[in-house]
Amino acid sequence: MRPPSEITCGSPGRIQRSERPNQRRFTVEHPINGALLTLAPLLVALASAPAAVFAGWIRTRFAAPVGAAFALLAAVTTLVVYLRGGGEVNVAWAPTWDLRLHFALDGLAALYALLATGVGFLVLAYSSRYLPLHLEHGGRDPSEGNRFYGFMLLFMGSMVGLAMAQDLILIFVFWDLTAVASYYLIGYDRHDANSRASALMALLVTGVTAVLLLIGALMFYAAYRTYSVPELAGLVRPGPLLNTAGLLIAIAALAKSAQVPLHFWLPRAMAAPTPVSAYLHSAAMVAAGVLLLGRVYPLLQESELLLNVLLGVGLLSMAVGGVLALTRDVLKQLLAYSTISQYGYVVFLYGLGGKYGAVGASFYVIAHALAKSALFLTAGAVSQATGEDRLSRMGGLRKPLPVLAAASGAAAAGLAALPLTIGFFKDELFFEAALQRGPVFAGLAVAGAALTIAYAWRFWSGIFLGTPRDGAHGVPAALVWPVAVLGILVLVGGVFVEPFAVLARSAGAAYYPGPVESVKPAYHLDLRPENLMALATFGLGALLVVSRRAWVGAAWGAARIGEKVGPEKLYEVGIIELNRFSDRVHSYEVRDLRSRIASILLPAGVLVGLAILATPNVDVYRVGSVAWQDAPLLLALVAVAVSAIAATFTRRHVTLALVLSSAGYVLAAVYAFFGAPDVALVAVLIETVVTLLFLATLKLVPYKILHRQARLPLQRRGRKIATSAIAGAGAFAVAWGTLSQPAAERSVSQDLVELTPEAHAKDVVTATLADFRGLDTLGEITVVALVLLGVATLLRKGRLR
Amino acid sequence: MSPRTKGKGASSFGIGTTSVLTETVARVLLLPTVVAAVAILVKGYAQPGDGFAAGVVASLGVMLQHLALGRREAERLAVVRHAPILAGAGLVLSLLVATVPLLLGDPVLTHYPRPGGHVIYLGTLELITPVLFDVGIFLLVFGSVVGTMNAFARTISEEQEYAGPGDSGLEYEE
Repeated sequence: MRPPSEITCGSPGRIQRSERPNQRRFTVEHPINGALLTLAPLLVALASAPAAVFAGWIRTRFAAPVGAAFALLAAVTTLVVYLRGGGEVNVAWAPTWDLRLHFALDGLAALYALLATGVGFLVLAYSSRYLPLHLEHGGRDPSEGNRFYGFMLLFMGSMVGLAMAQDLILIFVFWDLTAVASYYLIGYDRHDANSRASALMALLVTGVTAVLLLIGALMFYAAYRTYSVPELAGLVRPGPLLNTAGLLIAIAALAKSAQVPLHFWLPRAMAAPTPVSAYLHSAAMVAAGVLLLGRVYPLLQESELLLNVLLGVGLLSMAVGGVLALTRDVLKQLLAYSTISQYGYVVFLYGLGGKYGAVGASFYVIAHALAKSALFLTAGAVSQATGEDRLSRMGGLRKPLPVLAAASGAAAAGLAALPLTIGFFKDELFFEAALQRGPVFAGLAVAGAALTIAYAWRFWSGIFLGTPRDGAHGVPAALVWPVAVLGILVLVGGVFVEPFAVLARSAGAAYYPGPVESVKPAYHLDLRPENLMALATFGLGALLVVSRRAWVGAAWGAARIGEKVGPEKLYEVGIIELNRFSDRVHSYEVRDLRSRIASILLPAGVLVGLAILATPNVDVYRVGSVAWQDAPLLLALVAVAVSAIAATFTRRHVTLALVLSSAGYVLAAVYAFFGAPDVALVAVLIETVVTLLFLATLKLVPYKILHRQARLPLQRRGRKIATSAIAGAGAFAVAWGTLSQPAAERSVSQDLVELTPEAHAKDVVTATLADFRGLDTLGEITVVALVLLGVATLLRKGRLR
Repeated sequence: MSPRTKGKGASSFGIGTTSVLTETVARVLLLPTVVAAVAILVKGYAQPGDGFAAGVVASLGVMLQHLALGRREAERLAVVRHAPILAGAGLVLSLLVATVPLLLGDPVLTHYPRPGGHVIYLGTLELITPVLFDVGIFLLVFGSVVGTMNAFARTISEEQEYAGPGDSGLEYEE
């Protein structure tokens, strides 16, 4: 029998620590209460989407406040549960397949869950004012906002789930859920073809690579019989298996984090409304990639090769994203490339390894999320104020929008890692990690950070400095205060860095095997290498800003080459060719019903024939003896054969339906002779219903068409006879071969017969359907329900009544 | 007027008119059909038959109403009008039976009482959760088949109203 599942979870009040130091694993007296407490952040986050949609269904304007309130509640819940010590829930819901609901609120989960819910709250507050303007601008109905809030919160819920999931299959499920939510959000302006194409591109790039994650998970499972990341961390050994499976998972993560060469979907995803972009870039989707890297880091760090792959990809993304960000004119495009380069830093930090790399990666994500979401929201606000979305058509907005200018200035300074912002510390850790690896890496780190300064300055100065333009007006307060909150957080982090550092250290401790307590970002007024590197960065950045004329041509050239031969081109050509191939197969397959059936029957018959030729056939086909008492059975079989042959000569559709059903009834009689009353009963009933519905279907076809069809001469007679003969011969040979072999071993059916009394049943068939094979039955009845929906869709345009 | 044409209703699927005899038999048979269906359902654990067969039998009873009395007469039965809801309820019931054990810490689709446990009898009917699962299947199958029939019947009757009375019957003119 199946083993009982275990629930381990808890709060620090009544702790029994287990032997693993890095794992919080507690047991409590009330497992359900403890489990609910641990799962509270996830449950609140998952409940937010239906709540907001329901509120919006009552009154359209309720959706945004309810959604924002739920996001805030989820953030507070996450914080409270995290401060109480987190906890772990581990329930086997399908133990025979090792599928577990394994969630834990460790440091890593808390960090990303707080980002997803906290930034989510600010973005939703911003959307409550932005979205009505956006919809009004497009002349659309305000009620379309419901869809936006629903998917936005689904996005948030799946991010929280992804952050807390400790099981690779569970991670995969939430991973795909974020892809689905992002698809609907990027394609939110569904009347716009560009928007739809961008959404599809994001879905394909992240969805196809998600399959690699699943393959990697299955490879680990095949080797170690577990999907649990903490358990795998203790089991994996360096070797080809880790390299292959780890690389597959890393590719999925890198594609999600928009790393070169799978980065091209992110700038295209800017077709989404601005709040979506802000959220996607800072706290969801793109952050999910580095979250997964962090989650599986205990596995990846066993392999030198994988760390080097991360190093290379991170460096490449830093360079490509940084250079391209300096060439883009559309605000959101600039920010998109800057995100590619910024997550390149994070991947680079993972690749560098060590305690500074591990803690630095998490700290970097926090600092970047605060700054980047503020900058995106700024881009949206200034686009609303001016009606423009290009850097070259803006300028001088510090006069009409002073608060926004100050807040986004703080955010840009944070991105550029100036002192007195949280960003300074992200670069401090970044430099320390690079220094430990060697001078070459330190040099590359300085160059990358200088690029960041250059594009952060370009973004902010292009919008707010320079000569004022006409036509700019103020924006509603709801478009400014979320930016101000984020800007203040960036500055607060520049003074009181410890709370953020605690979170980053606790996240690092969740995946870095060594001690991380000594990683303390702080200001040091001395000439240590990190400070010198920071000074070099500022100088180099300033140089890049003033010498723009000298290098901008070369940057444009690089961008051109990328457009001509880059991975995006490859993707487009690939999609076009795949579409063409699919169209060709499709047009051949659905040309008419006859060739469709032939395309199933003929390959089936040929393959079966080949299999029969390939297997030994001595003593496989036997003719048994026939006794007198078999006479009724034989007569019934003759009747079946006669009606089958008659069906081939029947031209009228109604007659055909009746002839076919007569074959079915006689077959039911055969089952009854064989002592299978259950099967016989169902066969008779099904035959009756199907025949009547068949006749009703014929009634739906106009009589004249049926009549004409019945009189058409038979075309390609020879080919049809050959197809039928091959398929029939294959089926005959298989049936004969199977029935010639009495089951030599104990079959499953004997087990089921013996188990039936255990299930309190006397009828084996019913016990099998409802109990032993209940899951199969569940799948089948779901299909029945889907068939009903299909019929309703085809006949009644989707109306069930 | 011959008895064959005396019936008042056209059948749902447009297959000509029906006789008084057929109509009467159809009316009289409805209740026994339902009783038979319920018997097949609840006796499924001891004798041939289960929720699926019971659902089909019950829906055949409704099919007879459709054929003999016509759509409007058949739709006077509340269960016929709300068939899709029944189907949905059946699916939900089966899913609940499958998932509730999760909350009790057991794997999906654990049935109660467990092997060797004490079973409460109601006459010869055993009160065990597989019966509940079967009831879900029964509702789903009944709702689906009847819902499909209704969809057909409505579409046919709408098309006949559209095409006029001339184009009915399946008989071919040779």
